[in-house]
Amino acid sequence: MTDVELIENIQQALGAKALEVTNPDRRRIFVRIAAADLVAAVTALRDGFDCRYLATISGLDKGETFEILYHFAIPAANINLRTEILKAAPRIESITPVIPGAVLYERELQDMFGMVIEHIPDPRPLVVPDDWPAGNYPLRKDWKFERPQEIIPGGKS
Amino acid sequence: MKFQIPIGPQHPALKEPISLRMTVEGEVIRDADIRLGYNHRGLEKLAEEKTWIQNIYLTERICGICSHSHASCYVQGVEKLMELVPPKRGMYIRYLVSELERIHSHLLWLGVAGHEAGFDSFFMYTWRDREVVMDLLELISGNRVHYAMNTLGGVRRDLDEGQKAKILEGIVTLRKRSEYYFHIGANEPSFVGRLAGVGLLTKEQAVSLCAVGPTARASGIARDVRKEDPYAVYDEMDFEVGTADSCDVLGRVVVRVKELMESYKICEQIVRKLPSGDIAVKAPRKAKPNEVVARYEAPRGENIHYIKSNGSDKPERLKVRAPTLANYPATVEMLKNGFIADIPLIFAAIDPCICCAERTVSLVNIRSGEETVVRLSDLRRQAIERHRNAPPKRNAVWPF
Repeated sequence: MTDVELIENIQQALGAKALEVTNPDRRRIFVRIAAADLVAAVTALRDGFDCRYLATISGLDKGETFEILYHFAIPAANINLRTEILKAAPRIESITPVIPGAVLYERELQDMFGMVIEHIPDPRPLVVPDDWPAGNYPLRKDWKFERPQEIIPGGKS
Repeated sequence: MKFQIPIGPQHPALKEPISLRMTVEGEVIRDADIRLGYNHRGLEKLAEEKTWIQNIYLTERICGICSHSHASCYVQGVEKLMELVPPKRGMYIRYLVSELERIHSHLLWLGVAGHEAGFDSFFMYTWRDREVVMDLLELISGNRVHYAMNTLGGVRRDLDEGQKAKILEGIVTLRKRSEYYFHIGANEPSFVGRLAGVGLLTKEQAVSLCAVGPTARASGIARDVRKEDPYAVYDEMDFEVGTADSCDVLGRVVVRVKELMESYKICEQIVRKLPSGDIAVKAPRKAKPNEVVARYEAPRGENIHYIKSNGSDKPERLKVRAPTLANYPATVEMLKNGFIADIPLIFAAIDPCICCAERTVSLVNIRSGEETVVRLSDLRRQAIERHRNAPPKRNAVWPF
């Protein structure tokens, strides 16, 4: 299946949900959808195109909004679903009922960007330590690391 | 009676310390939980503050064994962003190093599998032969682990005729030795019997949990980025994707053995067909605003980097997904309903090289809260002991 045919099929399957389909490179397809349509679009892709292998989920801080990219891979191409949510209300539905392997990537999004993944089966922090201060989300652009002052017990004041 | 066994999180020789908490009933594991983050270095944040060139050396340090994989994946992506076309000779050398790295990683893994199965002469033989490929890598790049071969637009070192002859010579030795070990595998029923049926992961589970690499291929999924999405030189190479359908640790051994043979083939083709010309082109300092998804087949599975540029000399975002992370959900499934004695073997089978170091496992009795510390070597001895007394699996056969 060529990229052009695949894009046509995707547009047909997703209908009005596909807001924009781009093909910047050979075998790379980017589909923009609304955040509310996420689970429906993933289900349509899984059933219609056998997109069951989710390579990863990338988050991106764009200032006012967060962009989330779901990278799927099928033998014909690499399909990337792109959606945006407001930074002020960073809520997105979990896709684990459709793709069970997505859970680690969704937990990583929660830790790194402070997004809230609704209905995630396992919401514990994945990579941040247990004593990580609340409200610190390292991959947000406005987050800067400040090394805490080192206090040596029993040392000079 | 249920016990919980915590394993980890610290062990000195591992790049990814990990904590495993296993709920066991007698000797059978009923549930497993994985906790990560003990070695999270904030590399994606750091990458946003480094230039395109500095990030090559940063990504190379993501992994200690497949160091070339991450750097190549990153460079592949950035070359697309900068619209660079690297010269043919440079590409051939880059992917020659990739294949040699795959050979050394798989030989290392085979040795570890032999060691965990209690077949230490196999371990010593494969690791001795791994030195052949390590010497070749040192000959090409000047280093055994971090090769630093990649640069934007090509590679940093050329090959001469003497090196080409030495590589071909080394491949002949490695192939002969590998064939001899497969012969041993075929004639050593206890080795096959130890591996068969351990760490089951059905095809259905492997698909739904998004497993990658040899773990997925041993469950009958013929997914290999080199074949599926041939990057750079792989569409000019003649090779097969090795798969197995036994879905257990034996299958994972078979897949890696097949891949070794294919890698020898690819290396020979690359050296024989090596075109003349330059090895690199000059890269610009900045990249136009764009985004790219780079995929690469590392020894342990698919590597994927998502890179976004913003017009400056630094990336806006670099997202890295290493193959071991993708295999964790599958590992939990493999461990379930297995034996404590199989933990080292199953965990080794996804190749996180958790098994290279001596470390401790503490057994916690939930009822009394009493904790006893067991060294991994004792755990391994128990494993070997248990299998010595277990009835032999008569129907297990070496699939070659």
